[in-house]
Amino acid sequence: MINSEATSFLGRTLRRRSFLRVAGATAASSALVLAGCGEDPAPAPTPDTTTLGFKQDDTGVLNFAYLLEQLEAAFYQKVVEAFPADFTAADKAAFLDLRDHEVIHREFLKFALSTNAYDAGLTTPLAFNFTAFTLTTRAGVYAAARTLEDVGVGAYNGLARRIANPQYLQLLAKLASVEARHAAFVRDQAEPNSFAASDVIADSGSLAGLDTVKTPAEVATLIASLLPVVLITDGLMLL
Amino acid sequence: MDFLNLLARLADLDTTPALPAAAPRRAALGRLGQAGTALLPALLTGLSRPAAATPQNTKTRLDALHLALQLELLENEFYSRALGLVAGFSAVPFSATEKTAIQTIQQHEAQHVALFQRLITDSGSSLDPVVRYDFTGSKNGAQPALYPDVQTNPDTFLQVAQLLEDAGVRAYKGQVEFLQSDDYLLEAAVRTHSTEARHASHIRTMRRQRGATVKSWISASDAAITTPGSVPAKVYEGEDNITQYVTIGTSLVQVPFDSTLPINVGTPPLTPTQVLAKVAEAFDEPLNAQTATALLQLFTY
Repeated sequence: MINSEATSFLGRTLRRRSFLRVAGATAASSALVLAGCGEDPAPAPTPDTTTLGFKQDDTGVLNFAYLLEQLEAAFYQKVVEAFPADFTAADKAAFLDLRDHEVIHREFLKFALSTNAYDAGLTTPLAFNFTAFTLTTRAGVYAAARTLEDVGVGAYNGLARRIANPQYLQLLAKLASVEARHAAFVRDQAEPNSFAASDVIADSGSLAGLDTVKTPAEVATLIASLLPVVLITDGLMLL
Repeated sequence: MDFLNLLARLADLDTTPALPAAAPRRAALGRLGQAGTALLPALLTGLSRPAAATPQNTKTRLDALHLALQLELLENEFYSRALGLVAGFSAVPFSATEKTAIQTIQQHEAQHVALFQRLITDSGSSLDPVVRYDFTGSKNGAQPALYPDVQTNPDTFLQVAQLLEDAGVRAYKGQVEFLQSDDYLLEAAVRTHSTEARHASHIRTMRRQRGATVKSWISASDAAITTPGSVPAKVYEGEDNITQYVTIGTSLVQVPFDSTLPINVGTPPLTPTQVLAKVAEAFDEPLNAQTATALLQLFTY
C-alpha cells in the first residue's frame, strides 16, 4: 500500500511521537546560511555517466524537485509535439496548460538553484526515456500523466520536511498544490471520479484522508526506468 | 545596509526554545502553544523591502491546528448537508456520479476533522466551542443571503464548494510556515493540503462538466463567481500573483518570469499576457489566517 506505515514518516511517528528532532533550530540556522551569510555556494552535485547524487541540504532538495519538474515538462512536451489521434480539443488545451505549468516550474527551480543546479555544467541535458508509456492513445497518455503527477505529489509531500529554508518550504507548497490539481485532473480523465481514490488518499486507519507521501528513495525507484542515470538519494534520506 | 548584522539580529529574534531531546510527550506537546517559529519567514519576506519593519508574528502551531479544524468542520458539515446526512437538510439533487464524488470528499473532510481533533486534544488543548453554520451566507437571516439556493441548486452548491476548497488549499499553504519546526505536524498538514487541492480540482472539473467556464487550476480565464469587494472575493485576491522571490547568493531576487526566463516554449509563442497568466496558474498562493477566518465567519453564526 502506498501509504504504508513502514515507509511513511507520519506512520512511523504515529506509533510514538518522540520529538527527537530539534527541527526549528536547524531550520533557522540553515535558512540564514541560505539567505546569505557569505558562505561560498555549495558545489553542484556532479553527475557522471551512471549516477546522479543529491547533497544533504536545501540545494539537494531543490535539485530533486528540479529533476522531477524536468521530467514532467519533458513528458508533456513530448505529448504536445504529437498529440494522440483521439485527443479532443479540450484535451489539447489542457495539455498545453500542463506543459506550460511544468516548464514554468522547471525554469523557476533552475533560476532559484542558479549555479547550484545539478546540470549547470552539463552541455546536454539528461535525456528521459518514455518508451515504457503508450503515448499514441488518449488512454495511454492520461495513464502516464497520472503516474507522473501522483509521483510528483507524493514527492513534494516528502520533501516538505526535508527543506530547511522556510522561504523555500513556502515556494514548494505553491508548486505542490498545483501538481495535486494536475493529478486530480488527469486521474479524472483517465477514470471518472478517481481524483482522490484510495490508491492515493488513505481511506482507513490513523492516516485516513491524507494524500500520498514518498521519500526521495521511493521516488527514485518509481521513476528509475525513465532516467538515463541512477539517482543517489542517500543524502536526502538523512534530512 | 549591514546585511550580516541584520541576519544576526533576526537570528536573535528567533527565540524558539529548542525542544529537549526525548522530552516527555506531554511536555513537548505543550510547546505547541508557544510562538516564534513563524518569525523567520516573515522577516525573510521583509528583506525585499528592508525599510519596512515587519511586525512580529505570534502565531503558534496550535493556532494553525485550530484553524485547520475550523475549516474541516465547516467543510464536513457543508458536504454532509448536501448528502442529506444532517437532520433538517434535504440532499442537493446531484447525478449519481456527482453524488459519488461528494461522498468521497465528505469522507475525507470527516477524516481530517478526526485528525485535527486528535492533534489538538493530544497537545493538551481543548476543542473550540461548536459553531452553527449557514451556507447561504445570511448568518441565519441576519443579512441578505449570498447563496439562497445553495441547498437546492447543484450549480450554486458547487460554486460554494469551489470557494471553500480553493480557500482551504490557500489557507493550509498559509499555515505550513508555522508548522515547520514540527516534522510530524508539517507532514500531516502538507498531506491534507494536497488532498484539498485534489478536491478543489475535481469540484472545478464538475462545474466545467455542468457548463461553467472554469479550469481545474485557478486561472484568470475562469468566469468570476464572486463580486469585487465581497468576502468571497478575498478567496481569489492575490491568486493572480506573478511575482516570486528566491535567494541567490546573498540577495533576494525576483524571478524574471516577465523577461528572461525561457518559459514561452509554445508554437506559436504566447503573448506576454498569456505567458504571465500561465505563471499565475502555475503557483497557488497562500492565504493568511485572518482572511481564511473571515470566509469561515461568513458561513457561521
